[in-house]
Amino acid sequence: MLTVRNLNSGYGKLQILYNLDLEVPAKGITVVVGPNGAGKTTLLSSIMGTANVFSGEVLFEDEPITGQQTHLLARKGISYVPQMGNVFAELSVMDNLHMAGYLMSKSEARLKAEQMTEMFPVLKKFIHRKAGTLSGGERRMLAVAMGLMKNPKLMLLDELSTDLAPIIAEKVLLEVIRLRDELGITILIVEQMAKRALEIGDTAYLLVSGGVKYAGKASELLHEPELCNLYLGIKQLPKQQDNTRIPSSEGRG
Amino acid sequence: MAPWLANGLIYASALALTAGGITLLYITTRTFNFAHASMATVGFYVVYSFIIFIGGSPYRYFPFAFLFGALLGVICYYGLNRPLLKRQASEITLMMSTLGYDLILLSLIQMYCDFLTSNYKLFPRRVNMNMYDLELFGINAATIILPLMAIICLSALHLFLGKTKFGVAMKATIENPVLAGASGINSDRVYMVAWLIGGGMASLGGAAMAMAQTGTPVMGMNSIPFMFAGAILGGLHSLYGGILGGFMVGLAEYAGVFLLSQKFGPWILGYRMGIPLLLMAITLLIFPRGLAGIPWADLFGRLTGKKRGVQA
Amino acid sequence: MSDDKQIVSRLKGFLLRREVIITAVIVALLTFLLITRGVPMILTIFIDFAIFAIVTLSLNLEVGYTGISQFGRVLAVMAGAFGAGAIPGRVMAAIMGLPWGASYAEATVNFKLVPQLTAVLEKSWFLSIVFLIFCLLVAALCGAGIGWLTSRPAIRLKEAYLGISLLAFGDLLMWIGHNWEPLVGATTSVYIPDPFRFVPGNRFQVVVITVFVIAFLIYFFINTLTHSPFGRTLKMVRDNEISAAAAGKDVVKIRTRSLMIGSAIAAIGGALYVIYTGAATAIGFTRLTWTFWPWAFMMLGGIGSNLGVLLGVFLLTILRSMITIFRFQVFGFLIQWGIDPTWLEFTLMGAVIIVVVLFLPHGLVPEKVEPVLPADRVQKVITNMSSRGRFLT
Repeated sequence: MLTVRNLNSGYGKLQILYNLDLEVPAKGITVVVGPNGAGKTTLLSSIMGTANVFSGEVLFEDEPITGQQTHLLARKGISYVPQMGNVFAELSVMDNLHMAGYLMSKSEARLKAEQMTEMFPVLKKFIHRKAGTLSGGERRMLAVAMGLMKNPKLMLLDELSTDLAPIIAEKVLLEVIRLRDELGITILIVEQMAKRALEIGDTAYLLVSGGVKYAGKASELLHEPELCNLYLGIKQLPKQQDNTRIPSSEGRG
Repeated sequence: MAPWLANGLIYASALALTAGGITLLYITTRTFNFAHASMATVGFYVVYSFIIFIGGSPYRYFPFAFLFGALLGVICYYGLNRPLLKRQASEITLMMSTLGYDLILLSLIQMYCDFLTSNYKLFPRRVNMNMYDLELFGINAATIILPLMAIICLSALHLFLGKTKFGVAMKATIENPVLAGASGINSDRVYMVAWLIGGGMASLGGAAMAMAQTGTPVMGMNSIPFMFAGAILGGLHSLYGGILGGFMVGLAEYAGVFLLSQKFGPWILGYRMGIPLLLMAITLLIFPRGLAGIPWADLFGRLTGKKRGVQA
Repeated sequence: MSDDKQIVSRLKGFLLRREVIITAVIVALLTFLLITRGVPMILTIFIDFAIFAIVTLSLNLEVGYTGISQFGRVLAVMAGAFGAGAIPGRVMAAIMGLPWGASYAEATVNFKLVPQLTAVLEKSWFLSIVFLIFCLLVAALCGAGIGWLTSRPAIRLKEAYLGISLLAFGDLLMWIGHNWEPLVGATTSVYIPDPFRFVPGNRFQVVVITVFVIAFLIYFFINTLTHSPFGRTLKMVRDNEISAAAAGKDVVKIRTRSLMIGSAIAAIGGALYVIYTGAATAIGFTRLTWTFWPWAFMMLGGIGSNLGVLLGVFLLTILRSMITIFRFQVFGFLIQWGIDPTWLEFTLMGAVIIVVVLFLPHGLVPEKVEPVLPADRVQKVITNMSSRGRFLT
């Protein structure tokens, strides 16, 4: 559905991504994990046309979208939930939802907004409050709701679980699975909670220093103890792990 | 009504419109618009020309001033501002580009004045617009109509930004261009509309200003520091702050001159421009972010004993 | 053979450099004007060039090298002009026992007083030169003072805020000069004793040569300054204030120093201007002429490039005077409509700014990116370090 080929990009003159290749299969969850500063957010910014792309191309449904204006991508059905600044703090929750549905007709947007408030009841409570006064978790939920408002074909989610209490984070991730299964939305998710994300993901990419270190099935990345330990801080190994593969230098217990 | 207050109200309304326009352009496109100076002058000459060639009261032609200014704003956006924004030019570069546009407009205004002088035997370089004014309730109509007009315009702007879909989209783009783009809002169109409104407000303000002062080709050029002072006083980040700042700067100048000249004598008139600048300097020294930087919520919170941000 | 080829290619490279081409254009235009209009025209261009070069170079020091948004250049120029107009003449009058208090600047007094002072200067070349140097020193001190004052908000305020504040205070100082008579005579001018009278023959030529020499001395001073470690520190502050501070540089002190030096130089430019015209008039110091035009010159030449600024000032000064010279031949159609073609000067300036901003963002002679160390030495340091095993990759 989304293909990134040989991408070199960054901000201003600073290059962050080097020759990056990525493939997001349709109707699946693709997880991008990696340590801080690996370029995960830059990857999303490059896709959305807010970073500077020096070379390479991005294809959406086999159509080149490299460097296109962001609002045109929204029209094509890509929805983006940034990590920071993902709600309009000065607008009310209602206005936020309506802005997210900017491309819809008024009645359609109203209907969709109602669905969203049903899905996230907490939003209904604060519907006329300015989004800037919401707590971190409430904001994140509003951001996800705004992402869903657009009936997207592809959703880019950046650091979905930050700011959320673990229980709510879990709930939101389950919601992501439901999106895939029920609505058939393709999802590209960048996640700090690497372990949980890899468990729900279909395909996984490990990004390190602006390049791809691992590409393949998400469940298999969890079984790469060295990568998991070195880059993702996942210490406990899955139960079905073959003992012989544990490097002696791990020294756990 | 005292003459200083009458003129002060007109002038303050004019500055509220222009300073509001400057703030609007700054919060949308990061551009300090120097061309506001000549756009304001153009507004005055549009009204003047209509009166000379068609006749009637000046107020009939204010909408044309707005349209002309809006046109100049849109030209500036497409010809100058948009390519620079695409290149992510620095604030200083954006500011300088509008200075170039301002100089060209200024030269055209001067040439137009020459043209009127030699071909129609007019005196467009020193115009007292008051002589075309009507009388209302025993005073100049401008004293009532222009502040009212400013209030109506600014309320219309407020409704536009708060109630219409495009207005809310504009507010959204001002706050977070990336997210607005991701929601499908075309920032290009938002900026164009900002220039349209900003330019129109500049010309409208200029046309109003000429009712309180002698209209000259350099009227806008001389008052641009006060327009900026108003915008800066308002903190540059809030449209309403800019409007309020412009109004305060304008009124402070007339009130200050009146009060001080009563106390010290008429020589103070020569230093009248010092008053608004002093106001600006003092505000900036105490609150480097202008009126909008004053923690109003904190102040009121302390007064009412409530904590900040607590929802009722 | 190969030597010849090398020389040819080197010569080609030299001739195709932008500075060389622009200099050639300037020389060609000057020759053309010299032939068609004669020497006085050239001298007028030269003196305009020299005074604006001084002011623009000082602006470039503050904007191009230190990154301060100086939209109040007229402040320092005016400080120099007012200083030179108000102080040295008074000192002389006081020594000679003439009225020197507030009445010195009164139009009726000043009108009679200054010729007396000039008559004294005319007799002694030594006194004249001392007077000129005194004027410039006073101007430089006034300028440095204004520079220090402007550095106070420059520490607190950010780019645009600072620029607008300085612009507003430039206007304010002009209005103070225009209203406060004891300074420079308010609406009338204060005349300045002429230190160039002692030379027999054409005064104008002497003035031009003197100002020209001073302008080039200032050029060499600024060029040396910007290539010294201090100049590199300035650029460091400009490019990244935080990293400069982290490297142990006192950013506030450096900005203050740059503003004081720049303003002192601009003030010298202002003083030379009033000495050349013989009178200081407050209303003549508009932000248009003394802030915006230097900005246009600097942007055309190339922000951060001293040579570029010099060429930019020269080119635009010539073009400006060419509009005035050829207004009847070229712009006759405007005159037919009753329009004065001198307004085209504004159009020219505006168009230059727009063209530069849109198509030549780095100016005619862009700033050269100069590494702190030559490339081969950097290479050496790296090989040294990697041989010691500090760099693993």
